[in-house]
Amino acid sequence: MPVPFRRRVLATTLTFLAGAGALWLAGPSPARALEDQVVVVTSYPEEMTGRYEQAFERANPGVDLRIVWKHARDAQTLLTTPGHGGADVYWTPSLGSFPALRDAGVFRPLAVDRAALPGRIGAEVISDPQSTYEAFEVAGYGIVTNPAALAARGLTPPAGWQDLAQPRFAGLVSLPIASQVGFSPALYESLLQDAGWDAGWAMIGEIAGNARPITSGGQVADSVQTGAAVAGLTIDFFARSAIANGQPVAFAYPPRTAFVPAQVAITAQAPHPDAARAFVDFVLSAEGQSLLFHPDVRRLPVRPDVYAAAPAGQVNPFAHNGDFAYDIPLGLARTALVVALFDRVVTERLADTAALWQAIHAAEAAPDPTPERAALIARARALAGWVPVPAGDAADPALPALFASRRTDPDADARAKALEATWNEQLTATRAEALALIRQAAP
Amino acid sequence: MTRGAATVLLLALLAGPAAAQDGVTVPSAGRDALGQPIPALAPEHHDAFAHGRSLFRQAWLITPSAEQPELDGLGPVFNRLSCVACHVKNGRGAPPDGENDVMRTTLVRLSAPDGTPHPAYGEQLNPDSIPGVPGEGKATLVWTPVPVTLDDGTVVELRRPTLRFRDLAFGPLGDGVLTSVRMAPPVHGLGLLDAVPESVILEAADPGDHDGDGISGRPNRIHDVASGQTLIGRFGLKANQTTLRQQIAGAFLGDIGITSPLFPGENCTGVQTACAAAANRGEPELTAAQLDAITLYSAALAVPARRTAPGAEEGEALFTAIGCAACHRPTLTTGPYPALPELAGRTIHPFTDLLLHDMGPDLADGRPDGLAGGSDWRTPPLWGLGLAGVAGDGAFYLHDGRARTVAEAILWHGGEAAASRARFGALPAAARDTLLAFLRTL
Repeated sequence: MPVPFRRRVLATTLTFLAGAGALWLAGPSPARALEDQVVVVTSYPEEMTGRYEQAFERANPGVDLRIVWKHARDAQTLLTTPGHGGADVYWTPSLGSFPALRDAGVFRPLAVDRAALPGRIGAEVISDPQSTYEAFEVAGYGIVTNPAALAARGLTPPAGWQDLAQPRFAGLVSLPIASQVGFSPALYESLLQDAGWDAGWAMIGEIAGNARPITSGGQVADSVQTGAAVAGLTIDFFARSAIANGQPVAFAYPPRTAFVPAQVAITAQAPHPDAARAFVDFVLSAEGQSLLFHPDVRRLPVRPDVYAAAPAGQVNPFAHNGDFAYDIPLGLARTALVVALFDRVVTERLADTAALWQAIHAAEAAPDPTPERAALIARARALAGWVPVPAGDAADPALPALFASRRTDPDADARAKALEATWNEQLTATRAEALALIRQAAP
Repeated sequence: MTRGAATVLLLALLAGPAAAQDGVTVPSAGRDALGQPIPALAPEHHDAFAHGRSLFRQAWLITPSAEQPELDGLGPVFNRLSCVACHVKNGRGAPPDGENDVMRTTLVRLSAPDGTPHPAYGEQLNPDSIPGVPGEGKATLVWTPVPVTLDDGTVVELRRPTLRFRDLAFGPLGDGVLTSVRMAPPVHGLGLLDAVPESVILEAADPGDHDGDGISGRPNRIHDVASGQTLIGRFGLKANQTTLRQQIAGAFLGDIGITSPLFPGENCTGVQTACAAAANRGEPELTAAQLDAITLYSAALAVPARRTAPGAEEGEALFTAIGCAACHRPTLTTGPYPALPELAGRTIHPFTDLLLHDMGPDLADGRPDGLAGGSDWRTPPLWGLGLAGVAGDGAFYLHDGRARTVAEAILWHGGEAAASRARFGALPAAARDTLLAFLRTL
């Protein structure tokens, strides 16, 4: 679109001023005209971007908010090209993208008022310690349930993750597949961080014994809504939005859970730096943060002050989580490893896993086990929950790094595949041994 | 979502107690009331419905996309990124709020004075564009109050829109350019309307008003791209599309810049050189299978079941008595519909005759469209009317959203509907309320 001459001069001047240093950005916005557009790269859904577009443009007449919709990898490609492909702002729920792009020099300093925006939830740091990107919202993990379906089966609602492993939920738990549902790797990582590597995998495996696999994020809540499952592991906004739209489901956060951030940043060579700053200011303002409460959005603000006007039933993550602090860098480092393990341990063995755990649960429910039978069952349980990567290997940066680099490094991919083949052999043998022990334990 | 998961989900949906007896309406009245599949949807169509729903909600991507190449091809110029962006929750749109607002769920059709596409801007103003390509410009509406006094002295303040443009990228539109503001209509029940035989539509046509009732419904006749025939137009605010599939393909091109087997050419005009030079996939960006899926999804969206309300029966009788039902035909029947046989042979209550009517100068856009004249509009279906705005973001009516209430919408009626409007204005307040209460049950 041609830019009027007067505006071109102004924009050039402002670009120079913005390039003069971060102090200008850090200070209060001076009263000056904004550029006539701001280009925002995002993968947020239309239900959300449309509301922000309308509210921002009404608050800033004459500024055209232009959305460039990109998935994370496509966005990374665009933003790392010279001039960032013309993008001013990156605004998206993609936990790993922001530190990677910061390290690539894509963002400019972005100071905010820490009194209003703490940048952390308890001990969990949700904004960039180097102040190039800022948390915009957080979303928490929890359990969506169908009260009517639970009641129809005489089941009480699960109180926490571990409850989803109970035999009463056999075949009734919607389980997002880590390699296919974007929010779920961090969900499983949070369970591993909270319970510990070995105990966490054992719990995930046992829940998988009750699972109905889900391959799309919103389908966890949908499948529970229809009664196909009675409970599901989900990120909150799918369930909370369904509830706000009148769907017959309930949602609860376990006492300790992860709240993961989505973030916003301004590109280093933003062509419209003033409008970009205005946009970021808007989305981080009380007005912008309150838009997150909309029934079709239902994400959690990062400004503690707006929770005073939250809708009924809204959890305040700043007051929820006890002493559990999700370690985002650790989670990001291990994502590829966790996803690979999940597929080997869970996704590719769902039917066998269900059969094995049903056998274990049945054996455990049998009356009056002898000490010998109890020992066999306990041994079978341990083998069924075993994961072929020791905690020490997972904690060593080398193994997660190998899996993280497999997409771009053929050698790493080959080594990862070899490891996966070994895991498969070990898992097959271990599960077979567990099943044999259960058979031995039969009275 | 996998096909299996989609099947499980939809089977469960259909197994619920909410399934209505007629197979095509659902008792939902909440925020998601317009997004449900017909209860009669056969299992073999569940996957396509789920696939179509995802395409309807999908934000289309700039070419190339490494992650989802099957969903790229956006623009180069466009109005919105997705279907759901305009048809919010499958419902109706909203007009701009004033001069500082712009059209988001509303658009402007354009043509040169002779009715041909505008040489610089084409048939529709596309405000947005992919990077490196200029958007065409912005349109907004400025509102002027129009007080109307009813027979009992009640004053209703209507508002008249004036169309304004700014930031036009290719110069002024020129003298005599024809414009038409179109707010996004709701999209439920479209398959049932698609399944109404032409013979049923023509039953109510009376182009010369031979019966002397002042109502002269006329069909629009449109070139059907798929068959090459001239068919009755039944979709679009001026009935300018023949079939649901063609309506959808037209919207994909006009609104999102996505080419399809029916409309394979990009929507760049001759002067839009950057648009023409932009990368594209070089083939119909929406495949035939994708078009089929989203058509099936749209066709299978259920109609909200009628609710009950005190006085609704009396209100319906008033609706008929003052002449509204002459165009807002309460009942139609569907015929064979091979693409979705579940819709065939149904008795439906859309409250439309799918015909064009002269609505008078106040509602005229002055822009002919096929056989539709500058003051002609297709009777819009009224089913679901009472759920407009149920999602909580306001409700607007008529082709450009000028009416903020159903009463305002009625009071804008002119032309063939002038007599009915006058009778409505002459009703006692209680009777008007009863009539409006009936409309809220739809």
